[in-house]
Amino acid sequence: MEFQISIDQFEGPLDLMLHLIKTNKLDLFDLDMNVLASQYIAYITQMKEMQLEIASEYLSELAGLIEYKSRKLLPRNEAVIEEEYEEDQRQKLVARLIEYQKYKEASSFLKIKYEDRQRQFTREPSSLIEEWSKPKDEKIGKGQSVHELSKAFERVLHRLALLQPYQTQVTIREMSVDERVEQIERKLSNYKKGTVFSFRALCEDCTSIHMVIMTFLAILDMIHDRKMTYRIEEGDHIYVTKEARS
Amino acid sequence: MNNPKAIIEGLIFMAGEEGLTKEQIHSLMDDLSNEEINTLLKSIEEEYQKDSKGFELAQYASRYKFITKEFVYPYGEKLFEQFKKATLSQAALETLAIIAYRQPITRVEIEEVRGVNCEMMLKKLQVRGLIEAKDHLDTIGKPLLYQVTDEFLDAFELENLSELPSLETKEVQEELFAQIKEE
Repeated sequence: MEFQISIDQFEGPLDLMLHLIKTNKLDLFDLDMNVLASQYIAYITQMKEMQLEIASEYLSELAGLIEYKSRKLLPRNEAVIEEEYEEDQRQKLVARLIEYQKYKEASSFLKIKYEDRQRQFTREPSSLIEEWSKPKDEKIGKGQSVHELSKAFERVLHRLALLQPYQTQVTIREMSVDERVEQIERKLSNYKKGTVFSFRALCEDCTSIHMVIMTFLAILDMIHDRKMTYRIEEGDHIYVTKEARS
Repeated sequence: MNNPKAIIEGLIFMAGEEGLTKEQIHSLMDDLSNEEINTLLKSIEEEYQKDSKGFELAQYASRYKFITKEFVYPYGEKLFEQFKKATLSQAALETLAIIAYRQPITRVEIEEVRGVNCEMMLKKLQVRGLIEAKDHLDTIGKPLLYQVTDEFLDAFELENLSELPSLETKEVQEELFAQIKEE
């Protein structure tokens, strides 16, 4: 059989196999592995003869199919096990092909939708909106992940690094998280429940990155103990609110 | 409020491509009930469906926005001669399909289905804002978990992912029936 097609039109080895199954009128659900393997091997060999570059993914599937074929050629001493192996290989490949075909079909639905949407246009938001907008009072803790909190912390550290670019400090005393929690609690004890502090304000007395980190860890601890709640506003400012138990 | 419907219409116009959610409208016009807002949105939508209007009210990813009607496109094409028509390759569409149906999903899982390396493709799709990697799977190597974005929903005219057609193909069903018969 002559192949008139280039390998570029396939999205990968599975796509090529589906094409071979279709052109050879094989039944995907009762797949004749021998025919598929022979066709696939012939196809890749021909590609090689034409000195086309073949992506490694095609070759690794090729190796699998050659292994399958060679096992069939070898004399079988343990016939039962071999048959199980064949059935297993076949089932695995069929399952992969079916799975791949499902998404291939779904992608044609997406393609139509995408092309439709490309023909309909919208405008940018009203040009003055940027000037009007003021920081919104987001609901506490809603839709904010720990990931965002850690990102915000990274920015705070970055800012701190920018503020003191060449300063070196010898810290004699390393502070523990518990100590910092105590310090913050002492600081907060003068305020009533619901008072809002920015993370920056809590870091005011920090003299080193170590202390900033301890402050952050202390806040995490206190949030965990429900002594405070947090929220993040635009520009990654962290705010904490004092709760009853501190 | 003299004419809440006209106000909502104006607000959606102002919001442009970002669109407005029902919750946003509600927070701006708190003397309207959710039901009233629904009715008003429905009425705007119907009004703009008429052929006498050049744009229509769309709802993608829970956001209402005005978009031009499809029949405007050929004329717009003439107006802006170099209309950039963004296209997506078959490989991109397949990758997006797998993520949309199976999200959150790791790169390795996507590659298992497609049988090819997807690293570059995932980067490209991330740059286009169609997918994002928000979390890590809690396993060896902490692989990134990919999922589609609201921009994806907008680009494919979807209100949410449940609007995707079911994956079960006819053949699969037939095969199931065949199995039952055999048994």
